[in-house]
Amino acid sequence: MSGVITGGWEYVWAAYGVTAAVLALFALSLWVRWRAASRGEGTAVPEEEW
Amino acid sequence: MTREEKSGRLGGAFLLIGVLLLLFGSYLGLAVAPRERFMGDVQRIMYVHVPTAWNAMLCLTAAFVFAVAYLWKGGWRWDCRLEGALEVGVLLSGLLCVQGSIWARPTWGVWWDWDPRLTTTAVMFFAFLGIIALRSFVDDPAQRATWAAVATIVAYVDVPIVYFSVRWWNSLHQMQSSPATVSPAFYLPLRTNAFGMLFVMAGFITLRARLARRRLAAQLAPPPALTRAAS
Repeated sequence: MSGVITGGWEYVWAAYGVTAAVLALFALSLWVRWRAASRGEGTAVPEEEW
Repeated sequence: MTREEKSGRLGGAFLLIGVLLLLFGSYLGLAVAPRERFMGDVQRIMYVHVPTAWNAMLCLTAAFVFAVAYLWKGGWRWDCRLEGALEVGVLLSGLLCVQGSIWARPTWGVWWDWDPRLTTTAVMFFAFLGIIALRSFVDDPAQRATWAAVATIVAYVDVPIVYFSVRWWNSLHQMQSSPATVSPAFYLPLRTNAFGMLFVMAGFITLRARLARRRLAAQLAPPPALTRAAS
């Protein structure tokens, strides 16, 4: 046993794939939720209260 | 241009810059950087795992700052930013655990170990997830904002513990790297992805805070009957 890891590209692709998928899905969820929130007639809160 | 339009454009610009940097950094990490001597190609996971870890902790630090700012100065903007930072922080913490698990399998031989770094990270994830759950249970906006801010300050105690856990206790997880311990060939993809993830995080917080603001405005608006009576 040399202590050197050989191969393992499937783990590398899995890590990068999961990262891309999670970020893309979150971006999509933000867009969907924004569209849903924009359908309501929200009244703007006065600027001084922000 | 309204505040919403400004934050929408700013968030979109941050996201675009972040995605471009992540694509370039990942190309460098996967195709250009050399294979590490002992971990081989598996080490390339570091180029997404470490930037996620840094930015998860940075995001929760931002949540802590927003929580203190809300309690100190008041103002709904801090609560909206807190809501955004909490959700993005939990997202990155969860992603961090999954990436770490994928890296642990070929290097440690297990998907998970109750090692101090992993355990404190899991505690961080569930603590902040709990605060998001708490927010969804409270209807009154003022009460929700105050409780979430206080809970965030309490939960934040775990963040420095996560960072220092590898120094304080014997851990399977390696210690933090520094320019003295990382070969120069590994710097560029690591730093490019770190800045990429930083911009993506900032974009997500900005856009999520904008969504929180829109929802809060609808919640704080007087009912239509009262509006008609007043006019």
